[in-house]
Amino acid sequence: MAWNVVDRNTAGDLGPGISDAVRQKIRGFFDRYPTRRAVMLPALHITQEALGYVSLQAMRDVAEELEVPPSDVLDVVSFYTHFWTHPRGEKTIMVCRSLSCELLGGRELVEALKEKLGIGEHETTPDGRFSLMTEECLAACDHAPCMMINEKMHKCVRLDQLDQLLDDPDNDRLDMPRSDLYDAPGGEKPDYAALARQHGHHDEPAANAEDDDLGYTSDVGEMKDS
Amino acid sequence: MPKIIIDGKEIECRDGIPVLQAALEAGWDVPHYCYHPGLSVVASCRLCLMEQKMPHPQTKEMGWAPKLFPSCQTPVKDGMEVRFHSESVENNQKHVMEYYLLNHPLDCPVCDKAGECSLQDYSEKFGNATSRMVEDKHKNPKKDIGPKTLLYQDRCVLCTRCVRFADEIAGTGELAVVERGSRGEIDVFPGEPLANDLQGNVVDLCPVGCLLDKQFLFRQRVWNLQTVPSVSPADSSGACIWIDANDAGVHRVRPRFNERVNEWWISDEQRHGFEYVNREDRLTRPRIRENGQVRGASWEEIPAHLRAAFAGDGSAFVISPMLSNEEAWLLATFARQVAPNAVLACGHVPVEGQDRSFPKGFTIRAEKAPNRGGVERILAHFGGPQMSFDELCGQAADGTLKAVYVYGGYPAAWITPAQAEQLSRLDCLVVHDLFDGPLTERADLVLPAAPWTEREGSFTNCDGLVQAFERARPPRSGIKAEGQFFQELCGLPGLFRSAKIRTMLGESIADLAETFQPRKEPEHAH
Amino acid sequence: MPYEQILMRNVGVKNSQSLKVYQQAGGYASAEKALKMSVEDLVEFVKGGNVRGRGGAGFPAGIKWGFLPKERETTYLCVNADESEPPTFCNRVLMEHDPHMMLEGILIAGYATRTNVAYIYMRGEFTEQFHIVQKAVEQAYEAGYFGTNILGSGYDLECYVHRGAGAYVCGEETGLIESLEGKRGWPRIKPPFPAIAGAFGKPTVVNNVETLAVLPHIIERGLDWWNGLGTANSKGTKMYCISGPVNRPGCYEAPLGISTRELIYGEDFGQGMRDGMKVKACSPGGLSMGFLRGDLFPENPSKGEVDLTSDYDELDCILDFDDVRRYDLLGLGTAAAVVVAEDTDIRRVLTNVCRFYALESCGQCTQCREGTAWMYKIAQRIEAGAGRSFDLDLIEEVTKNMGMMPGMSICGLPDGAAWPIRTLVQKFRAEFEQHLAAQAPNAAAERIIATNPAAYDLPVLQGRALQPSGGTYLVPKD
Ligand SMILES: Cc1cc2nc3c(=O)[nH]c(=O)nc-3n(C[C@H](O)[C@H](O)[C@H](O)COP(=O)(O)O)c2cc1C
Ligand code: SF4
Ligand code: SF4
Ligand code: SF4
Ligand code: FES
Ligand code: FES
Repeated sequence: MAWNVVDRNTAGDLGPGISDAVRQKIRGFFDRYPTRRAVMLPALHITQEALGYVSLQAMRDVAEELEVPPSDVLDVVSFYTHFWTHPRGEKTIMVCRSLSCELLGGRELVEALKEKLGIGEHETTPDGRFSLMTEECLAACDHAPCMMINEKMHKCVRLDQLDQLLDDPDNDRLDMPRSDLYDAPGGEKPDYAALARQHGHHDEPAANAEDDDLGYTSDVGEMKDS
Repeated sequence: MPKIIIDGKEIECRDGIPVLQAALEAGWDVPHYCYHPGLSVVASCRLCLMEQKMPHPQTKEMGWAPKLFPSCQTPVKDGMEVRFHSESVENNQKHVMEYYLLNHPLDCPVCDKAGECSLQDYSEKFGNATSRMVEDKHKNPKKDIGPKTLLYQDRCVLCTRCVRFADEIAGTGELAVVERGSRGEIDVFPGEPLANDLQGNVVDLCPVGCLLDKQFLFRQRVWNLQTVPSVSPADSSGACIWIDANDAGVHRVRPRFNERVNEWWISDEQRHGFEYVNREDRLTRPRIRENGQVRGASWEEIPAHLRAAFAGDGSAFVISPMLSNEEAWLLATFARQVAPNAVLACGHVPVEGQDRSFPKGFTIRAEKAPNRGGVERILAHFGGPQMSFDELCGQAADGTLKAVYVYGGYPAAWITPAQAEQLSRLDCLVVHDLFDGPLTERADLVLPAAPWTEREGSFTNCDGLVQAFERARPPRSGIKAEGQFFQELCGLPGLFRSAKIRTMLGESIADLAETFQPRKEPEHAH
Repeated sequence: MPYEQILMRNVGVKNSQSLKVYQQAGGYASAEKALKMSVEDLVEFVKGGNVRGRGGAGFPAGIKWGFLPKERETTYLCVNADESEPPTFCNRVLMEHDPHMMLEGILIAGYATRTNVAYIYMRGEFTEQFHIVQKAVEQAYEAGYFGTNILGSGYDLECYVHRGAGAYVCGEETGLIESLEGKRGWPRIKPPFPAIAGAFGKPTVVNNVETLAVLPHIIERGLDWWNGLGTANSKGTKMYCISGPVNRPGCYEAPLGISTRELIYGEDFGQGMRDGMKVKACSPGGLSMGFLRGDLFPENPSKGEVDLTSDYDELDCILDFDDVRRYDLLGLGTAAAVVVAEDTDIRRVLTNVCRFYALESCGQCTQCREGTAWMYKIAQRIEAGAGRSFDLDLIEEVTKNMGMMPGMSICGLPDGAAWPIRTLVQKFRAEFEQHLAAQAPNAAAERIIATNPAAYDLPVLQGRALQPSGGTYLVPKD
């Protein structure tokens, strides 16, 4: 097979950076920890809220705020499954794939969603509305099978309810008092539809996704080709 | 010094080191990947495991503990007993070696590391040559991670030595692990390539052929190279190096452990700066100007010529900091033989910026010559008329000096046009150098020099440390190496041997008589 | 007999998350009491209760606190709310319904460990729970339970919620600390233990949510009450979880020492299997502790004796810290059971379990990184109907050569991987063999050639890869 040699000397398009308001919000966390670096996860959460994903430029900006090399931010972003390194949709559906849910239909749920939305894992619908991913046990096994749409947990999801669930405009909204601690400042939100148009939705799979299906698409794999 | 028992044999070891280091120093071959004495301990490869005797929790009787311990993470303690030759240790080694091969491409035929690859060696010695995985291997890309370095991801064993090096020694942190689990990779941030001035070390550190040096890429198979201990002339630090060379030239420079100077590392300048020794346009024949005509000369006719030209007043010798202690001493001795009042001057000392120190103390010296310390020490010993090279040029221009012998030996053009102009007004200018330049054009006698790879001797570094270097290659055809030539000038018979000259020199300058021998470290890239 | 609900007393109560409701039930009185005790007395008191950690390792809390160096300036308390072990959800229930119970526990533990900053490390998937806990923390600050000079005692404690972002291994205490410090959650080598050098290099205590939540109750009701609950070495009350195809999945509180069968079938617990199915397998302590054979298998004729070599029903296993070991389980874990019904293909369970560990291994240690990924590949092939009997031996061999117990890893994740995978392969070998026998005769060979022609081309493997059952040439011990 042909080898791809990835050029790391140049970066190409780094994507959007974070706003001053986001920087301010990140700085608000500095007092809570004895080191700046410890603000990494809060900073990335807020960044992802504001941009929809964590772009390379955003990683550089966060690195600057936390006074670490950008490679350290990349390292952290790629380690945790919640951070996306390419744009995602307005609503991210996170389906549980662990044992209790699987026993009660989790696998079928993922398949049904893939078919209904016409996308695979770590992909986004062309209109920018939905992205799909699976995650290990969401700690709601008593309500298996379950999935989350953004913040909202949907329990005991039945396949015949799926259409209704996906159409519900409030399917990602929590009906309770929220804390905006980890939110983007001032409700900053990306234009998801534009992001989806700009970046296409059926991205090439990760560099080695076709080689062995670990049943999971590596998100950082995206960057390998960028 | 604590005494510990390894495999039933008592050994004495240094204090405060891990058992693994003690075992390696005592000659055991313990497979290990993540441990490197110059880096923090992460104990993650789990290849160096050993058995240890522990008191039984209830009976307090000493016996082999049921679990294995990472020998890289266990400090030596007087009286402790461990073993590497046991069924469970060897069983672990077999399994780990099999795991490493699961997704490894095994493209040794095209891998630069082949022949000095610990994955090859360990597999042969501790593992099985096969893996029982019948699924497809996952393939990772090759990455161009910096101007001088490539990363063949699929060969990586994820020991994180390179990452720790960038964090701890270089302090620049360009390298990171990305992804997790079996999909982990080493990478840099896009657009932030690995470009610090020590980065070449990651290639030596890498126990497999994952990180590769573009300078050495596909250049030679390592089993065709001869390795010689040497000292880097790239700056005044006296970093110890290995030179890998063969009949086709010098191919690679690697660090050689030295606890007083460079420890396990060298700078990129010390590593990559040798290519000039292979240059085709090096001077290889003596040349003489007679009656305005330049002709080739033979080495035999030169001593008489020099004696005649330098016997009178107004002669001077420029002794370059590129020369070894022995050569400098011989040249100075000759100078005082032919002309007791000859001026002696230390040659031009190239300086670039300031000394630069890295977090753990590695320092790149601003002074880009290996032996100013030694030359100055020798000149001080000889006494008599001396001046700086600048002054000497001035006196050459105003006619005070009549005959000057300039030894250069620098890797690149070094003299300013103004200085060359000043020196061209002499009655006799002898230039002994590696390459043609503004000075050789004006010289009455040109002598071809040999680079340090083709000589032997000792350098005195910026801290006064005297260290010997060996000859990696014979002088290029047509060249008489400096030591031999100067020795003949002085009328000493026989072949030049730096150790012999050092003894003679030591009779008058005691502090240059002894060379420092670094501690012998086990080969840690393995 | 319904057991008294202590930790879960507020579940189902209206507005149970609010400070007011908690205080009405006597909340924060224990903390007030604790703050009046001397630190030494408090630690001794908790030691007397033998509060074994609820996070999985079962290490007594008071003793853990005692490891902190006498002389220290800064101490950190990390609350392990990373609950990622499938299928465990008791911490979620606690935080969702009664966050102040945990906060009171934090205050008590913080005082006992002379901590001035506590971090609640909460997994990223907890969204609702995050808002609830964050709100509760704010309320507690307002009421003066956090901040400076708490309740006039002169003791200061800051409490922050720190959200994770999706990594099981960040539940491991040193992985948690690394993650808190803003790094990838790579567990650290020990020593030094967190009690000596943990978060930010300072002495640190990591405790599970439930471990902390029991503290107010012990102080309120006294040691005699606590020590009167449970079995010999397992004291107190515990939140058990049950999920899978049972009639009433959920989280139920009971004193330590109920049996697996009771958890599945008990009136106060799972209330039996859906559609009257039989239990094929049950992992009673969270996924990592290993599987028991269910009542699909015949009853063990010799009552009380455990016979691991025969396929007998093992649901009599008592869920406390000791009895589980007789059944070849790693430990009690989180006491969260998942039940596999008789109609489930055991190969599918194997794949699911293998996938979890393959994707969650952090990738530092070779055995864990490569072993889990390899086993997942094998399990996928077996499930696809292309397995070999040799594969089962191979999986068994791999599981025996990984983990912290044989010294082959930094953290306990691979032990947690080895146990369920090995017990599945060993205890359900007969079913695997049945599936293998039902495969198309050349299925394994064909799939191997299709996915990895190189495996067949390699001279060393030629033929060998295709043997339906090759002998192991690395002879496993025992
Ligand atoms: C891989 C792994 C994952 C773990 N995950 C959790 C977890 O999600 N929650 C938890 O409380 N403890 C978890 N633990 C246990 C912790 O390491 C630690 O023992 C616990 O937080 C200590 O608290 P305790 O003494 O109160 O039980 C995990 C351990 C391992 C090895
Ligand atoms: S790294 Fe070693 S084993 Fe791998 S291809 Fe290169 S030489 Fe062969
Ligand atoms: S690139 Fe080499 S040094 Fe770096 S982790 Fe991989 S094997 Fe180790
Ligand atoms: S045992 Fe596994 S999860 Fe734990 S540190 Fe090692 S590789 Fe990571
Ligand atoms: S297994 Fe799906 S939520 Fe726990
Ligand atoms: S674990 Fe000891 S050398 Fe890697």
